[in-house]
Amino acid sequence: MGPEAEALRRELRGLVGEHVPADYLGAFTADPADLEVAQAFCRLLAAQGLLCMAWPEEFGGRDASPWQQTVVREEMWAHHEPRGAQYMGVNWVGPTIMRHGTPEQQQAHLPPIASGEVIWCQGFSEPNAGSDLASLQTAARRDGDGWRVSGQKIWTSYATMAQWCFLLARTSKEERKQQGLTIFLVPMTASGIEVRPIATMLGPHHLNEVFFEDVWVTEADVLGEVGGGWRVVQEVLAFERVGIARYARCERLLALAPQVLGEAWDDVPLELRGRWARMLTHCRRARLLAYQVVASQAEDRVTPRDTAPYRIAVTTLDQDSAEVLVELAACAPAEGEAATRFRRAVEDHWRYAQASTVSSGSIEMQRILLSRAMLAAT
Amino acid sequence: MKVDLSDEAIEYGLVARQALEAAGGEGLVQDAEVDPSRRTELVEPVLAELGAWDLQPRADADELQASAALCRSAGYWATPYPVAERLARPRDLGVDGLVVVDPARPAGTVAGIDRRWAAVTLAGDRSHARTVARATPANRNDAFVDDLDLEPIDQAGADDVALALTLPCWTLLGMLDRAIDLTRQHVLDREQFGQPLAGFQSVQFQLTDAEVERSGLDVLARYTLWSVLTDQPGAIEDALALRLAALDAAEIVLRVTHQLHGASGFCDETSLSWISRHSQPLRRLPYGTSRTQDQLVRRLGRQPLAGLFDEAGDDPLVLRSS
Repeated sequence: MGPEAEALRRELRGLVGEHVPADYLGAFTADPADLEVAQAFCRLLAAQGLLCMAWPEEFGGRDASPWQQTVVREEMWAHHEPRGAQYMGVNWVGPTIMRHGTPEQQQAHLPPIASGEVIWCQGFSEPNAGSDLASLQTAARRDGDGWRVSGQKIWTSYATMAQWCFLLARTSKEERKQQGLTIFLVPMTASGIEVRPIATMLGPHHLNEVFFEDVWVTEADVLGEVGGGWRVVQEVLAFERVGIARYARCERLLALAPQVLGEAWDDVPLELRGRWARMLTHCRRARLLAYQVVASQAEDRVTPRDTAPYRIAVTTLDQDSAEVLVELAACAPAEGEAATRFRRAVEDHWRYAQASTVSSGSIEMQRILLSRAMLAAT
Repeated sequence: MKVDLSDEAIEYGLVARQALEAAGGEGLVQDAEVDPSRRTELVEPVLAELGAWDLQPRADADELQASAALCRSAGYWATPYPVAERLARPRDLGVDGLVVVDPARPAGTVAGIDRRWAAVTLAGDRSHARTVARATPANRNDAFVDDLDLEPIDQAGADDVALALTLPCWTLLGMLDRAIDLTRQHVLDREQFGQPLAGFQSVQFQLTDAEVERSGLDVLARYTLWSVLTDQPGAIEDALALRLAALDAAEIVLRVTHQLHGASGFCDETSLSWISRHSQPLRRLPYGTSRTQDQLVRRLGRQPLAGLFDEAGDDPLVLRSS
């Protein structure tokens, strides 16, 4: 990855070690202090120029290399994402506004993201539009010099804490369902928005329904062209091609297991230690597949032939390793801080892993994309 | 860490694949099964023409990558010759090839090839190896495997093990390439219920399961070349991890590709059948899946594979404990 990337890794680990509690399991727990840890950590990263280092210098970033960005993804996810919900604003909301926003929108939205002060949510999925996103029904109709938005979004992460929503809505009915869609940047304080948390195994404050009832948005809140939203969404998905570095958390927890178990490691059944070794191999495999995508991305030649095997490998790794880790955690000493933290981290990982083949594009969609690429004429 | 193959290595692999195809492709293994003593005459001239015996895989990245690419191409046609074993020969023993063996039951795919062979165990014990006289005549299901008699040389083979484990994984990778290529074409050509098999999602998804395994093995194989070449401290563990992944991948890919070929996949007139049968020695020697996994676990102890977090003792979760 190069010396700069490895220096960044050391710097990030130092900051995590100093500013994130050892028992931190993410910003979305029942304890409000965890959200504050994330908010403070984002402000710290912003102050040190690390939060938006992937951004171009003209927008306050550092033009970080793809490998430095990879290190950030790995270190943050491995340590239970101490940026909380803000990774979304940093990773793709900001860059999308850079590409498609007006100067006024850039002025309004980019500085708050860069300073770690704002949380965005993504208003894409609907009850009848998940993998088939273009079938969404939330509609914006013209009303004077603005728009009225009505409809329902679901599975919206961070909506209870977000100040802004990156909303995809239908503005006209066209021949193809991918046409007639528009992006709106909507303040979550707008009248007519109701957020209802969904109790899930991922924990409180995570998934939500968001209802829009005649929500007034102005022309100035339209991102890009009216009716051109699908193209923007495709770009958003391109930003997320590598996605979460799930392999990093899997590898960290697997590597910790012998440390935490200590002498008890020798009593772990050989079969289970074999599964542990196999999972470490799968971590390496997923990481190398990710690096292959990053390298392709750097040369602007990414195809589903690269991305889909990675996404399939890394999401199944998440679930397979979770099963192994749960069994290893059961072998850990009953007492002791490290063992307790490890068990809690593993339990948290197991719950989150159940969703990994569903969220951010289901594994079935990845298989469809890969099979299309494989079966296409050569 | 550099894991991309050079353009030259990729080109060399392509040339080798074409040369082996021109020499008979899968016809080579079919002819060799009829008379295993012909393996040398069938294959060695092609390899010599390709400059295979000039390759020095221990010399530098170019030579190692070219060696790996040659093994992959040999695997693609199930070439009936121990190419990887020949290329893995130690520099210092004056032998023609090296086979990694289980000391409890040493064996290798060297039947009918009159060469000077050495063997090495995972512990680094090296021996001269000679084929054991057969009690029963060879048959085609032996897949050119002979038991070996070992005559100890030294315990200095630790540096030979990683390379000798890694190159056969490249041969197996070539077999998986071929199995998937054949199956892709089969599901596009074969029609049932009025449409090509490729139109059924259940078929598509099985094919993607195989491809995920193949592409994962591909990146691991390239990583392990780097580890071996740069003599990483965990190079043998890396090679065992690669072998474990290769065995898992082979099981999944060949099961899927057989299933999607239907009954035709078992026929001698179908290429997959030959690939599948001749993958067996690579998958069982020196150790099958479970024993490879056991060997990896024993060698690792409490130390994870080299990676992002192999110094877990520095982790805050452990450090900040009382």
